[in-house]
Amino acid sequence: MIETESLQVQSLSKTYQVPEREPGLGAAVRSFFKRKTKDVEAVNQVSFTVRSGEIVGFLGPNGAGKTTTLKMLSGLLHPTAGSARVLGFTPWERKPDFLRAITLVMGQRNRLSWDIPAADSLLLHQAIYRLSDADYKKTLAELDELLELGPILRKPVRTLSLGERMKCELAAGLLHRPQVLFLDEPTIGLDLTAQARIRTFLKEYNRRTQATILLTSHYMADVTALCERIVIIHHGKLKYDGGLNDLSRRVAPVKLIGVALPSGQPADLSRYGTLLPNENNDGKYLVQVPAAEVAAITARLLSDLPVHDLTIEDPPIEAVIESAFNEQVPA
Amino acid sequence: MLRIYQRLWHVNWAEQWQYRANLLMYLLFWLVSPIVYLAVWTTIAGAQGSINGLTANDFATYYLTLLIVDNLTSDITIHLLAYKIQDGTLSGELLKPIHPIITGTLTNNLAFKALTLLVLIPVWLVLCLLFQPDFSGVTLFNVLLAVPAVALGFGIAFFIGASITCVAFWTTRVYSLNELYYAVVVLFSGQFVPLDIMPPLIQNIAQYLPFQLLKYFPIQLILGKLPPEVIARNLALDVIWFVAAALLFRWIWRNGVKRFSAVGA
Repeated sequence: MIETESLQVQSLSKTYQVPEREPGLGAAVRSFFKRKTKDVEAVNQVSFTVRSGEIVGFLGPNGAGKTTTLKMLSGLLHPTAGSARVLGFTPWERKPDFLRAITLVMGQRNRLSWDIPAADSLLLHQAIYRLSDADYKKTLAELDELLELGPILRKPVRTLSLGERMKCELAAGLLHRPQVLFLDEPTIGLDLTAQARIRTFLKEYNRRTQATILLTSHYMADVTALCERIVIIHHGKLKYDGGLNDLSRRVAPVKLIGVALPSGQPADLSRYGTLLPNENNDGKYLVQVPAAEVAAITARLLSDLPVHDLTIEDPPIEAVIESAFNEQVPA
Repeated sequence: MLRIYQRLWHVNWAEQWQYRANLLMYLLFWLVSPIVYLAVWTTIAGAQGSINGLTANDFATYYLTLLIVDNLTSDITIHLLAYKIQDGTLSGELLKPIHPIITGTLTNNLAFKALTLLVLIPVWLVLCLLFQPDFSGVTLFNVLLAVPAVALGFGIAFFIGASITCVAFWTTRVYSLNELYYAVVVLFSGQFVPLDIMPPLIQNIAQYLPFQLLKYFPIQLILGKLPPEVIARNLALDVIWFVAAALLFRWIWRNGVKRFSAVGA
């Protein structure tokens, strides 16, 4: 049977025991004899599945349990409870065949040796992942084309800029053409151009190789550009699993009405809905109203005021996700 | 597999070249004590005729052979790995489908040896000119026999060193433990003085312990000072301690990684 699901996560939980003590000398002495620990539930009963070839955004505020989950799925952490299958493997057994089929890219560090050019580390990766010379050359040429690596491969890694290093890390993490990619903040700290380049690259890589990608990011542009589906966790619990487009409908069924009035005309629009600050500087008032009442309110606005121009929009996705972090999303 | 070692070698060699100044300082530091002992003991023995039956030439050949053997059998795993366990960067290694220690650290050790030998050999030749030792007891056969002895000696040192390093999975004080280990090695391996001039009790204990297999045994073997039955017994001990150290390492590594992945890599 061909598994069409790359990732199957079932009630996955991880509890850390964190040492805890009061400040002060007395407490320090007491903790020496009797150590107090506190259980912290980093991930709590999380379940989801991801189909082969899907790109899923894995979102949540800091400390939500995203990185812990990625570490469990890539085999670095043993869960406290629950199960996970990645390409049919149990990740934390860390079988060589499993490790050859996945990658975990975390921030700026990891795979490359600091003191030597990335090209040397890549040759080592070729041997470690048992890539034939032909495959190695082909993949490297492809990565070079997509990431525009060029001369940066031949400079010692420590002399590279943040963005250049991230490109090299991605190249090292993808050289073995993994079928499953776990990416933890792949664009963190990069400028807008570099972020856009990495996004284009990931999209193209996914198209060419049909790889499954689970990625976390604090940049909503990453998410909107790459992910049709998102999974949101908060305080270790699954909050939402579904389409990015459905989220706004489910979490906050609201619309934004933009109203332009003749200049100099003062108006109190707060009686129509929640007045939001308008960052576009186009002189419009922005009124947030329940989606169900948008027609009625629009009609009232048009009859009450000398409206110049009127637009009806969905709220920005950042705001929607933000509010999804903080409340229970109805399924 | 061979290609992995070859590429690892290349990377480690290149990395260590980046730190050649550090390396040189380390090497000078490491050379000081044997050279001081060499000078002190040859002078005393020269003045007294002999000490416990050891002549000035015995001391000279012992310490000069020690310089080479010590380089070949010593292990630097703790400096390569303990910090990675402590700061969590071991994670990156655990993601790769090879054993981080038996491939990476091992090759790094060997690259380090090769590089230090480059400096050591000229120094060694100069010392030979200065002290004019008589190496006539050395035979080709003994040198060939010393090859497995040195290799197993390094294997033992490597697995003990790696096991001590793995204690870092449980405590941050692993360097103190390493200091303790170093003290034991100094006492029982013949590193500071030949075991012949140690108290009989220590000599008796030392002959069963693995530490003399790292230094004293290979040195005496090369210098042609050991009867065949002692050579045979020590080679057998080499194999036994090698297997024991490897098993110890396997056990502590497995449990350590389990713990690493339980508390948060």
